[in-house]
Amino acid sequence: MAATRTASRAGEIFTTLEYGPAPESHACALAWLDTQDRHLGHYVNGQWLKPEHRSSVPCQDPITGENLASCLQAQSEDVAAAVEAARASLENWSTQPGAFRAQHLTRLAKAIQKHQRLLWTLESLVTGRAVREVRDRDVPLAQQLLQYHAVQAHTQEEALAGWEPMGVIGLILSPTFPFLDMMWRICPALAVGCTVVVLAPPASPTPLLLAQLAGELGPFPGILNVISGPASLGPVLAAQPGVQKVAFCGAIEEGRALRRTLAGWGPELGLALGAESLLLLTEVADVDSAVEGIVDAAWSDRSRGGLRLLIQEAVWDETMRRLQERMGRLRCGRGLDGAVDMGARGDAARDLAQRYVREAQSQGAQVFQAGSVPSDSPFFPPTLVSDLPPASPCTQAEVPWPLVVASPFRTAKEALAVANGTPRGGSASVWSERLGQALELAYGLQVGTVWINAHGLRDPAVPTGGCKESGSSWHGGQDGLYEYLRPSGTPAWIPYLSKTLDYDSFGLALPSALPAGPETGPAPPYGLFVGGRFQAPGARSSRPIRDSQGSLLGYVAEGGAKDIRGAVEAAHQAAPGWMSQSPAARAALLWALAAALQRREPNLVSRLERHGVELKVAKVEVELSVKRLRAWGARVQAQGCALQVAELRGPVLRLREPLGVLAIVCPDEWPLLAFVSLLAPALAHGNTVVLVPSGASPIPALEVCQEMAALLPAGLVNVVTGDRDHLTRCLALHQDIQALWYFGSAQGSQFVEWASAGNLKPVWVNRGCPRAWDQEAEGAGPELGLRAAWTKALWLPMGD
Amino acid sequence: MATQGRGEAGAGGRRKGSTEAGSGSQLCCGLFDMSAHQQGTELDLSWISKIQVNKPAVLRRAEQIQARRPVKKEWQAAWLLKAVTCIDLTTLSGDDTASNVQRLCYKAKYPIREDLLKALNMHDKGITTAAVCVYPARVCDAVKALKAAGCDIPVASVATGFPAGQTHLKTRLEEIRLAVEDGATEIDVVINRTLVLTGQWKGSDFIKTSTGKETVNATFPVAIVMLRAIRDFFWKTGNKVGFKPAGGIRSAKDSLVWLSLIKEELGDEWMKPELFRIGASTLLADIERQIYHHVTGRYAAYHDLPMS
Repeated sequence: MAATRTASRAGEIFTTLEYGPAPESHACALAWLDTQDRHLGHYVNGQWLKPEHRSSVPCQDPITGENLASCLQAQSEDVAAAVEAARASLENWSTQPGAFRAQHLTRLAKAIQKHQRLLWTLESLVTGRAVREVRDRDVPLAQQLLQYHAVQAHTQEEALAGWEPMGVIGLILSPTFPFLDMMWRICPALAVGCTVVVLAPPASPTPLLLAQLAGELGPFPGILNVISGPASLGPVLAAQPGVQKVAFCGAIEEGRALRRTLAGWGPELGLALGAESLLLLTEVADVDSAVEGIVDAAWSDRSRGGLRLLIQEAVWDETMRRLQERMGRLRCGRGLDGAVDMGARGDAARDLAQRYVREAQSQGAQVFQAGSVPSDSPFFPPTLVSDLPPASPCTQAEVPWPLVVASPFRTAKEALAVANGTPRGGSASVWSERLGQALELAYGLQVGTVWINAHGLRDPAVPTGGCKESGSSWHGGQDGLYEYLRPSGTPAWIPYLSKTLDYDSFGLALPSALPAGPETGPAPPYGLFVGGRFQAPGARSSRPIRDSQGSLLGYVAEGGAKDIRGAVEAAHQAAPGWMSQSPAARAALLWALAAALQRREPNLVSRLERHGVELKVAKVEVELSVKRLRAWGARVQAQGCALQVAELRGPVLRLREPLGVLAIVCPDEWPLLAFVSLLAPALAHGNTVVLVPSGASPIPALEVCQEMAALLPAGLVNVVTGDRDHLTRCLALHQDIQALWYFGSAQGSQFVEWASAGNLKPVWVNRGCPRAWDQEAEGAGPELGLRAAWTKALWLPMGD
Repeated sequence: MATQGRGEAGAGGRRKGSTEAGSGSQLCCGLFDMSAHQQGTELDLSWISKIQVNKPAVLRRAEQIQARRPVKKEWQAAWLLKAVTCIDLTTLSGDDTASNVQRLCYKAKYPIREDLLKALNMHDKGITTAAVCVYPARVCDAVKALKAAGCDIPVASVATGFPAGQTHLKTRLEEIRLAVEDGATEIDVVINRTLVLTGQWKGSDFIKTSTGKETVNATFPVAIVMLRAIRDFFWKTGNKVGFKPAGGIRSAKDSLVWLSLIKEELGDEWMKPELFRIGASTLLADIERQIYHHVTGRYAAYHDLPMS
């Protein structure tokens, strides 16, 4: 009977030539769930932790809705237990030689290799993603990540001398791609000697399986702990004593909220936000290959988010025709089917896509959907949206999976303006057969990763990060390692939270400055140094500066919100010119400034002396300041590098890009040296700067401004004096400042962290702790250079 | 009658392998009746100069396509039978004689064991290979053998100084004429690659990846470029050009990938012998083995299946 049925179908298929199901057996995934009696807890310290009296959520097959297991939701006590386990194993793990850690990571890579089928079927089963993508890409990449980082651990003592592991790392994962996101972050953290607590989203068993594989390796069970629970537990995790860094990947708004919540808690926060990507298709591209790039980017279960597609007008029709034709051949279906392109991502993702499509349609957009998609199902078809008016609310919002939003552009210049006109800065690809044009676009795009004539390539050796609202953390390559390192000798972060700090009123109360009598000695330069010259402050008032004995040294200008606005504008105007300067030209300017400082030494020494600095110390301070300028001038020449990665013919360029306008609030101590030590790396890396000098002793910095007025292009450096809290408030809330370094009070640091959530600018705060600016490590260490620029990876595949 | 095939641009011109034009349209000794012939279109070289092919991207696509459309179970069996009907069963050896050509022709008529086809209920569907392909001097033998077997499978012949094509036009034309006289109904023409490399293109009804006699023959990246050119030509002119990969296609699995490649890049209407051929000699044996396994659940011994 069976034979006849088979026979009759063969004849039918011979005529229709349709594809049939190609199911991947997931029996082993179910068998693994059975070992836990379909009841998953947390994996802490090498053991399953299944505390009682906890609520649980069902883990369901997103396509059939079948209940696969129930997963316990963590509570604060469980988070505390996991962090305790990570803390307990930290000392032992971090003091092992790098070569030893390398071996351990290699063993984990082998464990993954041995159980890869279990991993890929489990991941595909519970996430609904196409098994082909998990099997052929994610799992091999996970192994490569472990191997790459094992090598990094092996050479750590040499290559990363002067750095030490941060400590316990808290990792908060998004619900979409928990497995791979987790690997990208735990590998570098473990390699450099940190231990990790992962807060996995509810009902995601793969991270637990990975933790089990790692735990069963033996001697260091506590280095990787996984608890599952809602993202709202994130602040609880961050607040645990000992947690030194929190890495978060997920939605932009969640990241913003987390940034605000964690202000003042102590741990560093590394954000990797959003999932939208961009594809820029020029008229001199291989359009068919670019269409495949679009499929890779949006409809192959490779990316978490949707795609913004920019097409040059001349090839608009041709591209649309090919794209729509190609979309017709896409197949959606159960992720475990080896012949589908796209699986399902659950109800939330589908509803989000549906809402976006409805809204776009109501705003007049054209929506094209195609592909073979089961109708009775949780699937969402590949969708192409075009003719969306540029000013519609949809254009501003992030494009969700599995949508592609296409819009035309006329010239390369316009393409850059449109592409850079969003707050997101994740990844993009440029399709052009003209090398010069492709490079021009690639360099001009403000995104963390650019692929030329490819999309979505990844490699463990290539740093992946972003800018703007995509967050400023990196994974992969050297940059990924520094995320979990800090300069040796840095004290552990502890909470410095002030619960009484009122964010609404911080820095708003301005003291009224009254005349305080005549100045003693020579009057300091007066005014705000903005746009290359000294200008009167908008408020037209001044503040008296006194020495330690209380005698009046002079008056400096009282800057305010409008002065900050003006300074930032001036800095933006100077930015394109300064960025395009060659490193050699930047170095020359820094050296010229150093020479000018040297000439002015007697003057600066006497200014410092009048601030109460001992003569000997004052001389050292000026001398060191000169040295700093020279040192950064020399270092700027060694920027960026080319990487060679597997499976790619051609280089990947690691570019160090200027942040843009960098605001720096200088500390009170070392009024000249700290000012110069912060200014020099900022300038060397191509940033334009708005500085607030020492509050107690701003006069030496203003003396330097007199030299800068003659030497530097107008607007490159802007110095605003005044009430530090008030100026800090203005800077931190400014949306068009790309980064902020704050050295001041604990409260100020907390405010800066909180306020930076607005445009998610990277911030560096001192948490109220003084810094030894005269020491090489703290005053001129590589840390400053790392923070003064961001990394962009540029993929350049070659082939004729 | 200058028909314009874009296909050669990316592949033939680029690769060392030669581009063969099946059924030389200049001579009207084509594969099919006259209506199926290329109608011809104005020669427009700007089409070729506008083509952009990004090699690394095409290589990536070629790699992906091999892993993205597995075909299993009944679907596999049916697809394999479709592949059989697209095979140009070929023998192109210096020592070919009437006896092995006759064996080949018989195998072309009965490519899969009758009982296996019966089990699939496909025994009455006229499953034969698409053609038999031999050297010009063996066309007679093939025509005779096929007549004796009582079937109308076309005989294809490689002519025109195969495999290099570096002979005089006069002898090349004569060679074709003689092969047609002997009964060949399809001619695989080796185009003069000197003309290709100097940008002087000619059209054809079919384009072929290579002669099969090169060190590198049918590869997926080259095929992708050629198929996209066929599609573009169809979009521009409404003419459907056929495609024939040849050389190195030995396993049943390969033939499935080739079919899915055609389906993905061109669509179902190209998945028929009129527009798609596989030039192969040992492929058929492997397909038969796979079908044996599908029907019986056992792996066949060498002697279980008749040789060709």
